[in-house]
Amino acid sequence: MNKTPLASWKLLIFSAILPIMVLVALNLSFGEGIHKESFKRFANALLTSYIVFGLVLLGNLFFYADSRHRPFAPLVGMFVAISFGILVVWALTSYEDLLLEANSGLRSQLLSNIVRLLVSMTGMAISLLIAIGLTFAMITGRERRILFEEE
Amino acid sequence: MDSMLKAAILFWIPLLVIGFGVWLTISRKSEKFGIILSAFAILVFLASPWTVPESDSTAGAHLILSLIAPTLLMVYGIHGMIFGGNVPVGRLDASARWSGFLALFASFGILCFMHWSTFTPVWRGDVNPYWIVFWPTMLLFSTSLCAAASIGMVGYGEDRFSESLKLASMSIVFAGITLSAMIFDGEYTSAQEFRDYLFLAVADILGIIAGCVLSIGVFAVVIWSYEKSLPNPENTHPPTTEELKKLVEIADSHIGGEEE
Repeated sequence: MNKTPLASWKLLIFSAILPIMVLVALNLSFGEGIHKESFKRFANALLTSYIVFGLVLLGNLFFYADSRHRPFAPLVGMFVAISFGILVVWALTSYEDLLLEANSGLRSQLLSNIVRLLVSMTGMAISLLIAIGLTFAMITGRERRILFEEE
Repeated sequence: MDSMLKAAILFWIPLLVIGFGVWLTISRKSEKFGIILSAFAILVFLASPWTVPESDSTAGAHLILSLIAPTLLMVYGIHGMIFGGNVPVGRLDASARWSGFLALFASFGILCFMHWSTFTPVWRGDVNPYWIVFWPTMLLFSTSLCAAASIGMVGYGEDRFSESLKLASMSIVFAGITLSAMIFDGEYTSAQEFRDYLFLAVADILGIIAGCVLSIGVFAVVIWSYEKSLPNPENTHPPTTEELKKLVEIADSHIGGEEE
């Protein structure tokens, strides 16, 4: 008989967001308000990760092409989507200081975005290693239970 | 050589080559070459703080290099904790669980010392500018993932309440470290600076996840629209009498056998 799981995806997502919300609320309680560059950082992180992961998926299309007589259309489609992302970054960074953080110009902002993505991804990868590793360590930590005894 | 060209050759191109090498390895097009290429590119990339010291971007490579030791200790610890436990294959000695636990907490200790003591990665005589990007991001994401893992454990597992509590306590430990960094100054970074960067870390995490989801969505739309544009596959012709006869012959040769 199948047992219905107690957790749902919504609950899992909520449990992931809740600690961050609590820590942000505590941070706000120090009375300094949200950092003024936060929106710029969010937009830069979003656009940079969109382009970088788009390039990774473009590479992934070669696996897809192997099973589909090497079509050209999806490659062009993905290339256009990434180019659009690059165009948006270029337009928003060039327009006054809409997405320009503490960098001297467009090129230094773009390069700093990539390095920052690399550093943040390193932090996130280490966290993933800790969470998955600890989960498995907890699972294997308990002695094997006897499900039934032979008569 | 021009410093920009030098940075391109010794930092940016190796960074691209790492990705290309990984792609070659995963695609199995040239597995061995991919591994060698990636390994070589990683070495050139990690050496960039010395080969191109004038480039600001190499601070990223310097930070990653500084994190290798605690990360390896962490991997060793986690490996010991998992395989020192109750696993059907590749089980280590029971002491591996304790040594793994100590190694894991030693690695957390080193990371905390990097913030509160003099272990902080120093670049060009000052604290590495990416340290304060990495540290709050890692703490926040670890808090979040351990909490989600705890709920997942109790929700999807059976009779896993005590394990779930341990994972929840790990989440609380990370939250506690974050809170301490918000209150107490580090050796090179102040609590005020950490609080500022905590907002930027949240923006970073949400931005990266949103960007990932967006690119996966675009990828799905591209594939879906291509597949939709394909004509329906034509029906194959029914088998001829000759083919059916052959089929029966093959089936006959595989059915039967002698009685015992």
